[in-house]
Amino acid sequence: MHIPDAFIPIPQGIIYWIIALVFVVLALKWAKNEMNEEKLPLVAVLAAGIFALQSFNLPVSMGTSGHLVGGALAAIVLGSPFAAVFILTMVLIVQGVLFGDGGLTTMGANIINMGVIGGFVGFYTFKGLMGMTKSMPIAGLAAAWLACLIPSLACAVEMFIAGTVPLREGLIAMGLYHAIIGVIEGIVTVAAIYLITTVRPDLVDTGVKSARGAGAS
Amino acid sequence: MMDNKTFIIAGIIVALLIGVVAVFLASGDPDGLESTALIVQGQKTLTGDTPPDAEIHEDLTGKFSYESPMPDYALGEEMGPLGGLIAIIVGTILAFLIVLGLAYGIKMAGKAT
Repeated sequence: MHIPDAFIPIPQGIIYWIIALVFVVLALKWAKNEMNEEKLPLVAVLAAGIFALQSFNLPVSMGTSGHLVGGALAAIVLGSPFAAVFILTMVLIVQGVLFGDGGLTTMGANIINMGVIGGFVGFYTFKGLMGMTKSMPIAGLAAAWLACLIPSLACAVEMFIAGTVPLREGLIAMGLYHAIIGVIEGIVTVAAIYLITTVRPDLVDTGVKSARGAGAS
Repeated sequence: MMDNKTFIIAGIIVALLIGVVAVFLASGDPDGLESTALIVQGQKTLTGDTPPDAEIHEDLTGKFSYESPMPDYALGEEMGPLGGLIAIIVGTILAFLIVLGLAYGIKMAGKAT
């Protein structure tokens, strides 16, 4: 759901950029205050992993492909939605500037969708469901699914405001495709959380450790 | 438990492996947003296949345009899959280095003040 430059008029792109920058500044503050040095390697490895995963387009039938977004994964593993904003912003800069994947004037909108909305939806869904179910796979799957679906609907609304795609068609198509892509996102997210908590339980936040039970690591 | 160095190396290897496999196995079908645009432009139905010659018409009036050095994660037709491999490896390493550098810089700046 990387929006190219051609899909949003420049003035609207600037407005999204301004909103995005507020969150980017908050994400930098998060990095300064909350990210301890022990976590630096995890943050950087997650950025590399999310970049690679985003390049892997999997077929989702109906002549469409999709890839993982990674907002939920970053937010859950690092214990803050701002971690997702931080990592996704950097990944989107590399993708947009080097590979033309996602536009430059539309990067603000892409940061809002995948980093901000993806991160916040993923983090709070996970937190809420962890409290209720105590099951990392259930909470992780649902969080990542929603963190893929909701940003795609936001994207559809932005496309409508931009005059690129009618609202109803956009919501139906984006919702349908990303409901399927979200299942992949969910499975990969749960697998990645499991993998990271297995090799480095000390680096992971958000009650994931307790989810696996005492002595599970 | 894995130490930091092993964790970083293992993490980067996993990321590079995913990227390398992606160059050969990734689907060439349009992504969700591109598919949606094709539907609106009447080139594809919601659940139907994407015709091989489908192309998104971009109206660039009032829009910004930018030519990236490695569009579509490739280095041009003549380079083929090798270009794709180079693009993905460069991107993965860069994403790692930029985030590590920035995060490290922020921590150092925070300490200095």
